[in-house]
Amino acid sequence: MLNRPLLLIAALLLILLLVWFQRPAPVTEVARTALIMGTLVEIKGVGQDQKHINRAISNAFTAMRKEEERFSPQIESSRLSLLNRTTAAVMVDPQMLELLQLGQEISRQSQGAFNLGLGRLKALWNFEAEDPRVPTTAAIKAILPDPDHELVHIAGNRVTRSSGVQLDLGGIAKGYAVDQALKVLRTAGITSASVNAGGDIGLLGGHGERPWKIGIQHPRRPGEVLATLELRNQTIVTSGDYERFFIQKGVRYHHLFDPQTGLPARGCQSVSVIAPNAAEADALATAAFVLGPQKGLELLEQRPQVEGLILAADGTASVTSGLKGRIQWR
Amino acid sequence: MALKALWVRTTRTDRYLILLLVLVAFTSLFLSFGRTAGKQLVIYADEKIVFTGPLTRDRLLELQGPLGETQVEISAGQVRVVSSPCPRKICIGMGSVWRSGDLLACVPNRVVVRIEGEGKKGYDLLSR
Repeated sequence: MLNRPLLLIAALLLILLLVWFQRPAPVTEVARTALIMGTLVEIKGVGQDQKHINRAISNAFTAMRKEEERFSPQIESSRLSLLNRTTAAVMVDPQMLELLQLGQEISRQSQGAFNLGLGRLKALWNFEAEDPRVPTTAAIKAILPDPDHELVHIAGNRVTRSSGVQLDLGGIAKGYAVDQALKVLRTAGITSASVNAGGDIGLLGGHGERPWKIGIQHPRRPGEVLATLELRNQTIVTSGDYERFFIQKGVRYHHLFDPQTGLPARGCQSVSVIAPNAAEADALATAAFVLGPQKGLELLEQRPQVEGLILAADGTASVTSGLKGRIQWR
Repeated sequence: MALKALWVRTTRTDRYLILLLVLVAFTSLFLSFGRTAGKQLVIYADEKIVFTGPLTRDRLLELQGPLGETQVEISAGQVRVVSSPCPRKICIGMGSVWRSGDLLACVPNRVVVRIEGEGKKGYDLLSR
């Protein structure tokens, strides 16, 4: 005869087994890094199929390397180098066209605060040098692009560069590469991922079920965050005076130049922009930084689906209307 | 009392089964503790893993890159670049990292340091 407690235990065991087999496959996060466009790129994918995520991440890195080959001024064979070598009309690919058009649009809207023609100025300041120095005022003035003159003329898929101007897409191309990586991940069916190219961040979905929690670097306290906020399916880019800089006679000289003066812009410590795509966020962050807190905020408010946080030179923080109440200050 | 009455009615097989269940429960508990083991350091040179190890053991690592040797120090649970052949020494200026997910990189010499494992830092990604 069967014992009742034995039946009870057997039933419990059966339930345990059923629960075990009914469990969904564990959700894992795959994180990989690569060095692309002179910066550290980290892509994270969250999901159940590790192999599939790994393959998608490899393809996303490949897409970013293609953008590096297209837009890098250091690569002789890049489309950008080709454009910078000739003043004749050059046939460009759709990607270059898209990026130049977006750059021109943001340049117009920011009254030239965002400028694609600062290649010579950046070379003059040479922040990559072992011992960077402040150039003379005369040297700066000699190479500043004329604000009333068109930098590039676009006619169909043909682009003509103005003589005396060297194009530099440093303020927009990294964001564009992040967008291309996100596109590859989305096409592969990944629904939860992040692409972080040296702080230019693109997000697919949330981090699993919850939103991604983004920290914004404190510009004056290394290792500390200024604020955090939660985002899904958006991009965020921060431009700050603390990433590339040197100090000469007690003055901080950074790499975000005001195209009108050729000197580092002085209105802000950092600007973070949230936008539907990273190329736009990248260019707007630079533009708002150059414009300063008040005009910068006005620019961000004008753009649809764009939000931002500006930390002024005196440490005062301001945010766009849509971001109020969404930020946790640290 | 009800439990005692139930225990009296159990057979030897029942008791073996109860013991088995308890063992299974403890084993799974032990395994789950194993998964949350301490943080570890992963170092990539030219995008290939060249070192993995715990943060708890102090040591100095010498890593070869295209420009020369980058020295990474593990000390008191923190990691930092102490010497680098790159021109601007930005990697040295980045200071120490210790939180899970933190990254340290010398881009010119293609050396990347990543902290992996459990740990809370209040955010998933840092925009800078």
